[in-house]
Amino acid sequence: MNASGSNPESGTLGASNPEYVVGRVRSRRASLFADEDYRKLIRMGPSGIARFMEESEYEREINELGTRFSGVDLIEHALNRNLAKHFQDLLDWSEGRLYDLIARYLRKFDVWNLKTIIRGIYTDTDPEEYQTDLIRAGELDDRTLDRLMEADEIEDAIEMLSRTTYYEPLMAAYEEFEETGALVPLENALDRAFYERLLEDVSRPPGQEQPQEGPEARYIEFLQAEIDFRNARNALRLARSGADLDPASYYIEGGVLFEESELNRLVADYDELIDHIAENKRYGDRLSGALDRLRDADSLIQFEHAVDAALLQYSDTLSSIYPVSVSAVLSYILAKEREVENIRAIARGREVGLDESEIEEELVIL
Amino acid sequence: MIEALADTTGLVLQETVEESPFLTDIGAAALAVGLSALAAGYAERGIGAAAVGAIAEDDDMFVPGIVMTVLPETLVIFAIVAIFLVQ
Repeated sequence: MNASGSNPESGTLGASNPEYVVGRVRSRRASLFADEDYRKLIRMGPSGIARFMEESEYEREINELGTRFSGVDLIEHALNRNLAKHFQDLLDWSEGRLYDLIARYLRKFDVWNLKTIIRGIYTDTDPEEYQTDLIRAGELDDRTLDRLMEADEIEDAIEMLSRTTYYEPLMAAYEEFEETGALVPLENALDRAFYERLLEDVSRPPGQEQPQEGPEARYIEFLQAEIDFRNARNALRLARSGADLDPASYYIEGGVLFEESELNRLVADYDELIDHIAENKRYGDRLSGALDRLRDADSLIQFEHAVDAALLQYSDTLSSIYPVSVSAVLSYILAKEREVENIRAIARGREVGLDESEIEEELVIL
Repeated sequence: MIEALADTTGLVLQETVEESPFLTDIGAAALAVGLSALAAGYAERGIGAAAVGAIAEDDDMFVPGIVMTVLPETLVIFAIVAIFLVQ
C-alpha cells in the first residue's frame, strides 16, 4: 500500500485529506436522527413525517420534489435523493487512497442501480417510472445511467457496460439468463462482482501474510464481516424457503464464516446452520441474542436487523479505535443507510396501517 | 603524507572549535524554538484540516475549531522558555 504521509489512507505526502473528510463526516454523523426522533416519527402519518423531514436535513429534497410527489412517495424519493447527495459528497471530498477505499464500498449502489435498470428493462417499464428509485451515489455517472435506461434489450445494456468491471461477469451470466429466462443469474453475478472486488488488493491472497493490525487490518475485518453476514443471510433464507436452488451460486468468496463446501451441507439442515454461526468465535457473541430469537421464533427479519445493528456497532467501535481512518466514513455510510431504511419502514408501515409496536420491530435501533 | 595532513587538519579543526563553538547557548535555544515551531506546524496540519471540515458543515464550529487548531502552539511557547533560561 501507499505508505506516504502519516496517514495510510492519504495518497499524497502532506495532504491532510483524511482529516478533512473525517471532520466533515463526523459532523454529518452527529446530525442524523436520534433514536428518540424515530419514536416521534412512529406516531406520525406520512404527511407529518414529510413535515418533520422538511424541518431537518431533508429540507431541500422535500421542497424540490414536493410538487411532483406526495405522501409516502415523496418521502421515499426525498430519502433516495438525499442519500445519493451525501454519498456523492464523500467521493467529492476525498482523494487518493481514501477515495479508493470509499468508492469501493459505494459501488454497491452501482450494483443496486444496475439491478433496478435490468429489472426495468426486463419488465418493460417506462424509465420515467423507476428512475427515481435509482440512487446515484456510485461510480457510474448520470450519463451512463441515463443511457442504460434507454436500452431496449438487456444485452444492449450489458454492451454499454463494456468498459466497466461488471461486463465480464454479466456476459457470463447472460447465457444462463437466456436459457432460463430468470434474472437471478444476472443479479448474482453483479453481487459477486461487487463483493469480490471489495477485498481486491487490500487483502493478500490466502497463504500470504495478512496485515495483522492497524486500520488496514480492521478494514479487511469489517469487509469480511459484511461478506459473512451476507452469506449467512442468504444461507438462512435458502434454508428457510426450502427452495431447490444451488447454494453455491449465491456464495460470495472472501468471508471467514463459511466455506463453499460446507454451505451446501449446512443449507440442508437449518439447526446445524444456526449452530455453525453461533459457534464462530468472531461473530458468535455479537449475534447470540439474535440467534436465540431465531431459534425460538421464526423471525428471520429480526435476525437480519440484528445483523445490521451488529455491523453498525462494529463499525462504530472501529471508528473510535482509529479516529482518522476510513472506518469513520464507513460507519457514517452505514448509519445513514440505516436512517433512510428506518424512515422508509416507518412511512411504509404507517401507510399500510401497522400499529406502533409492529413498526418498531421493523426498525434497526441500537 | 596523508596521515600528516590529517593530523594538521584535525589540529586546525580543534583550534577553530575552541575559538568559536559550533553552537552557542543562544543558538541552541533558537534551534529548539525553530524545531518546536516546525512540530507545532505539523501537528496543526491535521487539526486544521479537520477543523475546516467541521466548520464547512456547521458555522458554530468556528470558535472551537480555532481553539483546537492553535492548541499545539503551546509547544512553541514552552520552547521560548528555553531562551529565557540561557540568557
